[in-house]
Amino acid sequence: MGPQSWIVGDESAKEVLDRVFMERPFLLLPPLHRVPLRVGNVVELVGPSPSAKTQILIQAAISCILPKEWNGVQYGGLDHPVMFIDLDCRFDILRLSEMLKHRIMEATGSMKKRGGELKNAEKSISDRTRKPDIAFDEKLFIFCINRFLYVRCSNSFEFLATLKLLHHRLWKEKETHGNSVHLLMIDSIGAFHWVDRASTFLPLRDNDRCRKSLFLQGVSEAVVQEIKKLLRVHPMLIIATKSTILGDRYSSTSSEVKWNFMKHNFQDTSDTRNVTRNKLQLLHREYMPSVWQSFVTHRILVQPSDDHFATSNHQNHSLHVLEWLLPSLSFLDKFIVTDSGVSVVS
Amino acid sequence: MAPLKSMEQEYPIIDAAFQKFCASHGIFSVEDLLMCDIDALMAFADKEPKSEKLKQGFTQILTIIDGLHQPWLNGLDLLEDAKWNKHVLSTGCKRMDELLQGGLRKGQLTELVGPSSSGKTQVCLQVASSVAKMQIGSVLYLDTGNSFSPRRIAQFVHKSSGSVLNYQADHIPLQKVMNSVLCHSVFDIFAMFDILHQLEINMKSQIHKADHQVQLLIVDSISSLITPILGGSGPQGHALMISAGFLLKKLAHEHNLAVLVTNHMVGGEGGITKPALGESWKSVPHVRLLLSRDHGSNICNVSVLKHSSILKYSTFKRNYNILLLHFPKMNMLLVGKHPL
Repeated sequence: MGPQSWIVGDESAKEVLDRVFMERPFLLLPPLHRVPLRVGNVVELVGPSPSAKTQILIQAAISCILPKEWNGVQYGGLDHPVMFIDLDCRFDILRLSEMLKHRIMEATGSMKKRGGELKNAEKSISDRTRKPDIAFDEKLFIFCINRFLYVRCSNSFEFLATLKLLHHRLWKEKETHGNSVHLLMIDSIGAFHWVDRASTFLPLRDNDRCRKSLFLQGVSEAVVQEIKKLLRVHPMLIIATKSTILGDRYSSTSSEVKWNFMKHNFQDTSDTRNVTRNKLQLLHREYMPSVWQSFVTHRILVQPSDDHFATSNHQNHSLHVLEWLLPSLSFLDKFIVTDSGVSVVS
Repeated sequence: MAPLKSMEQEYPIIDAAFQKFCASHGIFSVEDLLMCDIDALMAFADKEPKSEKLKQGFTQILTIIDGLHQPWLNGLDLLEDAKWNKHVLSTGCKRMDELLQGGLRKGQLTELVGPSSSGKTQVCLQVASSVAKMQIGSVLYLDTGNSFSPRRIAQFVHKSSGSVLNYQADHIPLQKVMNSVLCHSVFDIFAMFDILHQLEINMKSQIHKADHQVQLLIVDSISSLITPILGGSGPQGHALMISAGFLLKKLAHEHNLAVLVTNHMVGGEGGITKPALGESWKSVPHVRLLLSRDHGSNICNVSVLKHSSILKYSTFKRNYNILLLHFPKMNMLLVGKHPL
């Protein structure tokens, strides 16, 4: 290959764009739609428990597993399997199945409504097909729920073993479903924080300088490394939740915490944020090792609020507030949780 | 986890040469292998003289690691498991069942939070008697404060509101019902771990017949076992707390138990009471109920703080579905619901 062909180039800008959009598509997953997220991003959902974090994950999972179109009905899904790694060990499939049923019924219902506006002839056709329509729903439901892939881990070693073998599993799923997994969810990333923090390696030999003494650090490094490796072969969007487990610790008298408190305070004031924000940030003190922090590309804070929102059928729902911390956006999204999932209200 | 040296007997391919190669990269155990980049190691192995054999060793290691994680499932597997194995156990209290959408779900950890004398133990005893009366298996009751009262359970069994329980159940002799409630006094967290591990072993080896299988595990109160170890700045206390939570959830999930624990309240800043097990514990239970009692009143209020299967738990939280538990009447009568 001569230098000439080097300069000529392989593809035009349009071709590059087309290819990139094919390989690394944007995933629009309300309420996480303010910033375009795409495959390869690592999103962290921070919030106290409960703040509808898992709810948002389930919502995203459903948007992903639903097909774009099924028997002429638009479902607007992304048509890809999803992988859910449950570190909290409290995922409830019934909630997902209920929500999925709701979403499917909503879509078919709106279809029928539109059918009513059509000509009579067409209406009679839709009437005739109503019965098989319901049977198809069940088929679609099974089709979708089969694309929800799940694994639970109850300690860091299980998590690492899972990540190490995930590669093979994803290939297999790609073969069975025809589509590759585009979304990997981790709920929640800090689940083993305390256990790992208390563990250290037991030295097997004396004068063992190769062995890392900081277990927590080591685990995080290994996790990030495994995910990075995974992303190279399987481009995926990663959404990890993180609960604020250190919420009430700032009042502790421990000097370490106090020092962190001051450091944090200082950082925040240097950020010229107001006092209330300061306190807010304080409640959500970072505890993940820096290797994870720098791995995260987008950070979102969700919190329950005391306000309410009345929906059209006179039901009162409490509002949740969603704020983008990375990239920092100045406005807040408010959302409520209903039967059909998370819906943004303002 | 096992050092590589000890695995040689079972897997001859992990021989001295393989161990030596791993040792030269600072790896001595399966733990170390999990923490390292195996692909990079295999790349190094390629440059070694006996690369073929080392590679076989790594293939073996990968199969070992494959056995370390929990099974891969999909939504349908989970749904089937929920349908066949994760039933709900009635609390014996109609309004409470309504609040919990049927009762305590097997596979889940339910927590009762409330100040002292808000009726936590009463609810535990009521649920224990209700499940024991159903005669579907036994109830394991871990009592940390000598508050277990067999007399109270007997009262509940006798006087349980007929509308909730099967009338047929009334004919089961009291002795038989009482026999299926097993109480252990536990005064520290390590004793609890002992009992739970023993339970796990028993359930695995299925020493019990199907009808004696433990259905419900109650720890009243788990907070009094954990708070003494939380002091100080070290993470050990919290680590034990989280491990206890994972162990309970694992037992619940794998052996289809319903788990009920209680958490007392302590004075926080500014005189506001808060749960003794606080922020870090919050991510442990599936369902969190708050019990409270107005001063000088016999009426207990129950509200849902968190529920993993109710979509609109937030509205439950706000509407404060109130259950009224009358103590003097010796049974839980549910009088009504008062949205706040």
